[in-house]
Amino acid sequence: MTTTMPATPTPTPLTTPTMTLADLTRRSGLDVLDHLERQVTIPVVDGLQAQGDLIVVPYAFVTRAVTLTSGNWREVPAAGVELLRSAAGGNPHTLVADPGTCRWTRQVRDTMGLAIAMIETSAVAYLIHPEHGGTGIAPGRYVVRRQRERDTERMGWRGDRMIAD
Amino acid sequence: MTPVSALSQGAHRLALARRLSDEWRAHGLAARPADRPAAEAAVVALYRLIDAPAPEFVWVPSPTAALSIVHDDPHTFPPVHFQGANLPKYPEGWPLAAQLANLVQDLRRGLDRAVGHGVSRGSWWRPLAIPAERALTTGVAIPAIIDMVVGDALYATLHNCVRALIRAESMPTTGGTDGMTWYGQHDAHWIGHYDVYARLGLAQYRRSDAELLALLAELARSTGWWWPGEGRCVMAERPTEVHTEPLPDALNGEVRLHRDDGPAVRFADDTQVHALHGTHVPTWVMTDPSVERIHAERNIEVRRSAIERIGWDTYIAQARLRHIATSGDPGNPGSALHLYDVPRELWSRPARLLLVVNGSVEPDGTHRRYGLSVPAHFDDPVAAAGWTYGLSGEHYARLARRT
Repeated sequence: MTTTMPATPTPTPLTTPTMTLADLTRRSGLDVLDHLERQVTIPVVDGLQAQGDLIVVPYAFVTRAVTLTSGNWREVPAAGVELLRSAAGGNPHTLVADPGTCRWTRQVRDTMGLAIAMIETSAVAYLIHPEHGGTGIAPGRYVVRRQRERDTERMGWRGDRMIAD
Repeated sequence: MTPVSALSQGAHRLALARRLSDEWRAHGLAARPADRPAAEAAVVALYRLIDAPAPEFVWVPSPTAALSIVHDDPHTFPPVHFQGANLPKYPEGWPLAAQLANLVQDLRRGLDRAVGHGVSRGSWWRPLAIPAERALTTGVAIPAIIDMVVGDALYATLHNCVRALIRAESMPTTGGTDGMTWYGQHDAHWIGHYDVYARLGLAQYRRSDAELLALLAELARSTGWWWPGEGRCVMAERPTEVHTEPLPDALNGEVRLHRDDGPAVRFADDTQVHALHGTHVPTWVMTDPSVERIHAERNIEVRRSAIERIGWDTYIAQARLRHIATSGDPGNPGSALHLYDVPRELWSRPARLLLVVNGSVEPDGTHRRYGLSVPAHFDDPVAAAGWTYGLSGEHYARLARRT
């Protein structure tokens, strides 16, 4: 299978060590709000990191809680993958990676009920959000979870609700 | 038909269904003057179907204005709920509004037969949580997909998120009947459902059913709520303003009422409905949210909306919440996590409040703070923050970065 790169004059590979928000938005075609600093190099994190109501958890942290329900991995396409949209509907957390370097699946079971995806990347991948900006994910396997809070309205065992920012 | 052409026909139907659903939603959300001649003609035709003479029309600017007329005139708008002894012997003796309702009841039965199922389903039914386009390729039958994109989506928007709030504002939830309200543009959810089935060639209706449906569709396209009475019909104008935002996780264009600098719905007589992210709130939440009013409020969503309006830290200071502990937020340098005890009057179950700070900066240069409710047994803010992501405090303490 051949994957066509987007028609940018000189596409910056996502694996470049000094990726800035400006590079990332140009490269991915996704945009962030104007007030976020665009020229600072985006840190690449190989541990636990959060972006708003999402958290990227190294799989080693949650091997007992989170399991794959199928081997149905999918490659993250050049356009990226929307992992979650915000409450207002317009602000997605999007995972972007160079084609052929990162795969993902939603086929996960989480005893906490919070996992929405598992990702496995062999090169640096990025999570981008219009309000939160960008963050780099070092090679490895991770679980992406949503944030919850106690539902203060309801008694009983299902007393939590998801956070949507 | 080969599977491939079946799929492409499905995709074509789905695209058309989405377009029609958008049109019906736009009618339901329309905030422009009624098309009075069209609406009146449709009502006259409905009256004719039950052998009633054309009524006199009374146009008013809002449902609230209409209801005061309807409630003051029990002869023209008699109660339509009967019990045992006062049940008229023959349908001809029924009040006009009940006869019309009966007509539409029969219509819907006929349309459901033609469609093959009803628009409303049992409590077992759950919406598909995947986009319709994907559902189509995984083999979900086209009627189920059309129902999701049209009937369910319009029901969520027009019935649950718009009509319900206007109704709550204009009609007390206790007390007598309203003499049978018809919802005009807000009936578009079920009318649109049957209309789309017919226009996609998925159902064929009897001629009389199709004609009656067309009259109701005309009303949904042309006017607000209306109340048919004996010889007189009260017609309410549509709102002059309707403000919405997309529903969270909306896959099919669902929206809810929202406006934070004024009423989400306004009628020409200045009847207002305030709504924050879909929550119907009293005017004080918008104009004067105070701790006293927040604690006196019984509805938790209203309390939450009011707190978010004044800001969590302001609320905590004014409500004098008891501080339990503070620690640094791992991964969010310079920011702290604060844990508070919450009075039972605020939440109906024991819980604590974790005040957190957003990792990313707002357009005005500040970092937004917000409160999360956490189980009452936490004394350590870091452990409480970890819990919100299903992690232990030890793991959460290793948070490297927050944006």
